[in-house]
This record gives sequence, structure tokens and C-alpha cells, in this order.
Amino acid sequence: MKTTRRTVLKSAAASLAVLAAPNLARSQANASNTLVWGDDSRSDVTFDPRVTQSRHEEQVIVQCFDQLIMSDEKSTLSPGLATSWQLSPDSTSLHLKLREGVKFHDGTAFNAEAVKFTLDTIVDPKTGSQGAVDMLGPYDKTEIISAHELKIHFKAPNAGIIDTLTETEMSIVSPAAVGAKGNTGFAQAPVGTGPFRFVSQEAGREVILERNPDYNWAPDWSTVKGPSNIQRIVHRYIPAASTRVAALEAGELHAADLLPALDVNRLQQSGKFKGFIGVAAGLSNGALFNITRSPFSDIRVRQAFMHAIDRDRVVQNLYFGLIKAAKGPLAPSTPGYWAGAAAYYPFDRNKANALLEEAGWKMGPGGIRVKDGQPLSVFFPSLTNPDAAVAIQGEAKRVGFDVKVEIVLKQRQDEILMNNQYEMAVLQWVSNSPGILRVPFHSSNVPVPGKFKFNWARVEDPALDAMIDKAGAARTPEERIKLYADLQKEIMDRAIYMPFQDQVQTAAASTKLQGLRFARGNWQVRFHEARIVG
Amino acid sequence: MSFIARRIMSIIPVILFTWSMVFIVLQVIPGDPVNLMLAGVPASEEVRQRERERLGLDKPVVERYFTFLGKAATGDLGEGFRSRRPVTVMIQEQMWPTIELALGGLCFGVMFGFVLGVCAGIRPNSWVDSTCMVLALVGVSLPSFWIGMILIYVFGNLLMWVPITGRGFGALILPSITVGLFVAGGFARLIRSSIIEAMNQDYIRTARAKGLSRTRIVLKHALRNAMIPPVTLLGIQFAVLIGGAVVTENVFARPGLGTMLVDAVLAKDMPLVQALIVYKTAVYILVNLVIDLAYGAIDPRIRVEQGS
Repeated sequence: MKTTRRTVLKSAAASLAVLAAPNLARSQANASNTLVWGDDSRSDVTFDPRVTQSRHEEQVIVQCFDQLIMSDEKSTLSPGLATSWQLSPDSTSLHLKLREGVKFHDGTAFNAEAVKFTLDTIVDPKTGSQGAVDMLGPYDKTEIISAHELKIHFKAPNAGIIDTLTETEMSIVSPAAVGAKGNTGFAQAPVGTGPFRFVSQEAGREVILERNPDYNWAPDWSTVKGPSNIQRIVHRYIPAASTRVAALEAGELHAADLLPALDVNRLQQSGKFKGFIGVAAGLSNGALFNITRSPFSDIRVRQAFMHAIDRDRVVQNLYFGLIKAAKGPLAPSTPGYWAGAAAYYPFDRNKANALLEEAGWKMGPGGIRVKDGQPLSVFFPSLTNPDAAVAIQGEAKRVGFDVKVEIVLKQRQDEILMNNQYEMAVLQWVSNSPGILRVPFHSSNVPVPGKFKFNWARVEDPALDAMIDKAGAARTPEERIKLYADLQKEIMDRAIYMPFQDQVQTAAASTKLQGLRFARGNWQVRFHEARIVG
Repeated sequence: MSFIARRIMSIIPVILFTWSMVFIVLQVIPGDPVNLMLAGVPASEEVRQRERERLGLDKPVVERYFTFLGKAATGDLGEGFRSRRPVTVMIQEQMWPTIELALGGLCFGVMFGFVLGVCAGIRPNSWVDSTCMVLALVGVSLPSFWIGMILIYVFGNLLMWVPITGRGFGALILPSITVGLFVAGGFARLIRSSIIEAMNQDYIRTARAKGLSRTRIVLKHALRNAMIPPVTLLGIQFAVLIGGAVVTENVFARPGLGTMLVDAVLAKDMPLVQALIVYKTAVYILVNLVIDLAYGAIDPRIRVEQGS
């Protein structure tokens, strides 16, 4: 019994001593030249660029790998591992000259073999690619001309290939490392040519990267040409947003991603942090109108709805000006974005009322419009952003819409969407290709019971399908841009989609951390040019 | 010896039963693992189909069940759907952080619970008793995520005494207190009632008559006899904690088996779910066995008879 008492007293004393010791084992963020990043994920499972489809995993991959053609956040292209490229007139082959003197982190040389190996293994079913294989499209083969020159052949025109090669998923991997470790081993310890090399990981806790001292093949747009000023990166998994904010404020992190707008606003005002906000490329956050059900089967009602919402003001109020209202189906940072979409459906309550009158919806009791005894009521399930849904509800009420918002979980949303039991639903998608428009607007993507797909407008029109297919199979980059612009105009003309807000990466960093740059698509953050001051 | 062997063998039918139940439930609830895995990704139908074939999801349900059982019998529990790594390795990696938190939580829980329970038990129905029991109730009732966030704010941000995230002993303190407060509540209430009961026994009166000090009576005579129910509760709580503390893991950005199981179920990652169930069932049964054996050490009157 004495032992028990002693043990208890001892452990109590030890705990008190621990509690009283200030700054115990405090913060790796203080170590010089070690950058600590808080990531909004729980864990990553693969760091193989050929396999991944996860934006979290790409946050690590983007530090460790280079692409043949490197793009900055504004889609400025620069030679990367390839020094020059030439697309054949019919877009069925791409001639590349490669940089010499580049080495993988394992010391092996980068050459045409490595490119061929990467592309061939992407399309090999054994690799189990989830992203890269779709991006590579009609890949046929790679023809090696010399150690640093090659030609990539396609079975059909692939006008988007130059854009595609800048994607993180198209990073070039070390054939020797894949050979030695196998695909599974490589996924846990990747080897590339990038500014940082992979050191270790502890599942669910952190990944450690270290500067690549040999790095001197940075893209033209990089302000740091040689090795990074950062010696070490600790990529820490912190799934709870409130914990990321707390750890940032406690000085345990230099930077963290996806913080609530409210916190970013507060952090900025403290003067110790700055917001690092990026408008993600891809589909903006917006509502798709279900055109198969009343009242949105009538285009005038859809147009009226869009004119009724003062999106600039609502979005400004919701996010303290950190996020802006979206102006089209694609974000401006997406290649092929058509600026003409911004002129569509400006806020105009009178016009909204007029359109509804014209469509036969007369003002009824309680400020809700009525037609044939039916109220102008729409069901709006909201999964991710209830605040925005409620704001939309309030605005629409002022012209006579009764928007019924239900906050749903994923399972319930899937059920509602598959069974066509909604009038509108919100979609957003991070992507660097205008080809993403196929996902919500092609007839093959209309959801049916058992098959969860994303054409929530339920538009099934051969004419629109033809436009999507034609843009996807464009023969030249110029033609591609033109066809995608036409497609965006068509989507806006049909009033099937209401752009609402930019899809935004709301990162924040200590003012001591400088030189951050978004990777292409404005989601992942590149650390090569970063430095810690003071 | 045969008692122990029998108890360990009993794991097998329990696991078989739980596996079958989990397998059925995961078949019944809607959602295709491949679509869940590729949620939010514009992966083509070909990619999805290839993934289904890779995971064996294109085979009939019954065939999949028996294939799984056959492999499990040879000790191969399969690979995680998304990670493509052996599930046993994945569990091993998360085991230590989980045990660490379970032990830390138990230490704080026992410490708080012991003090509260004894203080309340030796002066029943006094203001000390009421205060201690209110505190114990608060510990059980407050949700972990809230306690966690308050602890982070006070000790991590305001006082800056301990780190919020990261690794090492310092980063284990706040999550341990969060778990400990929950453990302490139930523990304190049981200690209190056991002590009150023990204090009314004849042998306590005898001890008093012998002129022993109050402290000595409580610690040497009352507590030892009052320990059986709290030890049982602790054992069960340890077994639960060693299966992971999802909310605490999430708030403090700690890896752990609780989070792993929740993620695996949400992703319908069958091999991982099944393997975690083996682990949890085995731990539960083994911990209970250890508790049974510990009774003998606490109270020599209880002994497991050989061969019984």
C-alpha cells in the first residue's frame, strides 16, 4: 500500500513539475531554417505523383519533384526538365529536348529513359494511376531520340498536352528508385529531382523533407536559382482548423493552410501573420439549377434567381473581403478562362421581378410568389457551406422565392442528388484544365440511383455534349481556347449554373516567413524560394 | 493455465462473429469504396473500373467473404484499399501513439479520480463530497473536443507552458489531461462509493478501536478492499482507450487507431476495418484477462482456481 501512495505522489509531483516548466520542448518552428507547415489533412497514403489524386499529397510532391515544363501560379510556362518543346501541327506528337546535368535525389542521372519510364508506367494498369493516366489522355508511346531528346506520340490529337505536362501528377520519377523499392515502396519514399528530398514520414504525424544541395535547375520564374534557403521542412498533419490556428499563434508553425476566413482576418490584424490567399483554378463554387424540375425548368426563373442575388455584397459580408464573388463557371486562374462570363446576370432586383412576372409567377401571401396555386419554392440541400446557402435564401426571398435550405451530410446529399429530389445544389472542383467542364455539364454525368455523378443541372442536350467533346478533342492550343470560350458562353446563356464565390485556399503565414509561392492552380504552396527572417 | 488458454482461445469465435457482422453492415450501407476513394476527383470510369478490379470488388459478395477468411486463416489480413500497404504494418505504426495516449490518459485519470474519490468518500455528504462529485461529473460530461480546445487555448496560447502539436513528452500532456478528465469522472465516483461502503465495515471499526490514525485506516484498510470495482472500470477504460480516442486525436493532431478506424469505416476500407477489429477484440479480451488475474493480487481472497 505504501508503494501505491508513493507512486501516486511521485507521479503527481512529476506532472506538476512538467506543468510548471515553461516552454517545455517548445516548437520546432524556432529552429533556424526549419520550416514547419500545418496541413489540413490527417494522413497521406502515397507520395507517388503517378498515382495520387489528392491535393494534400501534392503539397509534399510539389517540393520533391520537377515537371518537364514548369508553370507558376499565373500559368507562366518555363523550361523545367525539358529545355524546349515543339507540338506537331496536328497535336499528335510532342518533341522535347531535355536538360543535361540533372540528377535525381538518389544520384542517378535524369535522361530520356526516365521520361519514357514515367509515362509508360503511368499508363500501366499495375501502377494504378488515379489522376495522371486520365490527364495523359490518348498516350501512345515515347520514342527516345538520344539521351536528352525524345518524342511523345499520341493516338489522337492532344492539344492540351503542354498544359498537362506542367501538372504535379506529371512529375518525373527516378526509374532506379522505383526499380529498387517497387511501386509500394516508392510511394512511401519518393525520389525526384526537386528542390527538396524526402527524408522520412510518420503516418498521421509528419513528413520530413530536406534541402537538395545540388538543385540548380530552377524554372525561369523562380527568384532562387540554386538550392533553397530552407534547410528542412516539417510537414505536420493537423486536421482540426482550430488547432492549426492555435499552433500558428503559439509559434509552433510558420504557415498553415485552409484556415477559416474569420481567423485569417484576425491573424492579419495582429500584424504577426499575413494571409496567403489563392483563388483555386477549376470550377468556381456555384449552384447548379436542376432544369428537370419546376420552377427551374423555366429559363426565366433561373435568370431571375441570378439577378436577385447581390453576390458581390453577400460574399464580401461572408468572408470579410478575403474571398470574392465568382464570375463564371471557371476560375480566372484556369487556362482557357473566358472573361466574358463576368458580364452575365448582374444584380438587378427589378429585372428579377420582371422576369418572374413574365414567367407567370405572381406575388402571393407572405411575399412568396405563386403560379397555378403552387408557391415559388425551391429545395436547396447544403453540404459544405450553410452560411452561403442561408444568405442566398435571404436574398431570393426579396423577389418572392421560398428557398428551403437543408443542411445535409454526404450520405443524405448523395441520396437527394441521385434520386433527383432537389432544385439546386452547390459544386466546386480544383483542376488546372478547362476540360473539367465535362464533369458537371456532359449528359454522361447525370446522376442516377446507384451512380453518383456531378451533372446536377441534369442537362442532357446533344448540342452541348458535342461542344464539350469538340473542345476536348481540339487540334491546336488556339482552337482549344476558342472552343472552351464558346462552351463557357453557352453555359452562361443557358443559365444552368450560378457562379457564387471563388474557391479559395486561405493559408496564413508568420511575417517571418517570406518567399512563399502557390503552385499552379493556387492550392499547394511551394517552399523553394522561402526564407525565414528575424 | 488452462483458464488463460481458454480465455485466449475465446477470441477466435468472437472475432469471426464480429467480422461477419461488420462485413454485412459494410455491404448494406450505401457507397462504393472506389467512388469514396476518388471522391472529388475527375477520374474516368476506366480508372474507377480498374480500381474495382484491383480491390477485388468486381467479385460476388460471398466469394469475397470466403476469400478474405481463407487469407486471414494464413495470417494475411490484406492491404489497405487506398494505401496499398499491409494493414498489419499500418496498425503497428499507429499502435505506439495510441498506447502512449492511453497510458497518459490513464495516469491523469487515476491521479484526478483517486484524489477526488478519496476526498469525497471519507467525508460523505459534506461540502467536500459535493464539490468533488460535481467536478467528477463535469469531467465525464464535458465533450473532449471542447476540453481539448480550452486546454489548448489556456496552456498552449495564453500561458504557453506546453506545446500544442508535435511529438515528445511535452505534446502528450494536454491530450492526456483531456482523456484523463473523462476517465477520472467514473473512477472517482466508484472509489467514493467503495470507500463509503468499506468505511462502514466491522474491520474499520476494529482498526479505529486499535487507535490507528485516520490516514492509515483509509489507505491501509479501506482502500485496499475498495479497489476491486475501480480496477475493473480502469481495465475496461484502458481497453477502450487502446482502441483509440478519435476526438482527442483529432483535436491534438495525433495519429492513432481511433482516427484510423473512423477513416477506414467511412472509406469502406474492408481489409483495414477487419484488421482493426481483430486488434480491438484481442486487446479487449486480453485486458479483461489481465484484470481478472489482478484481482488475486489486490485481494488474496479471490484466486482463480487451477483447472476451474
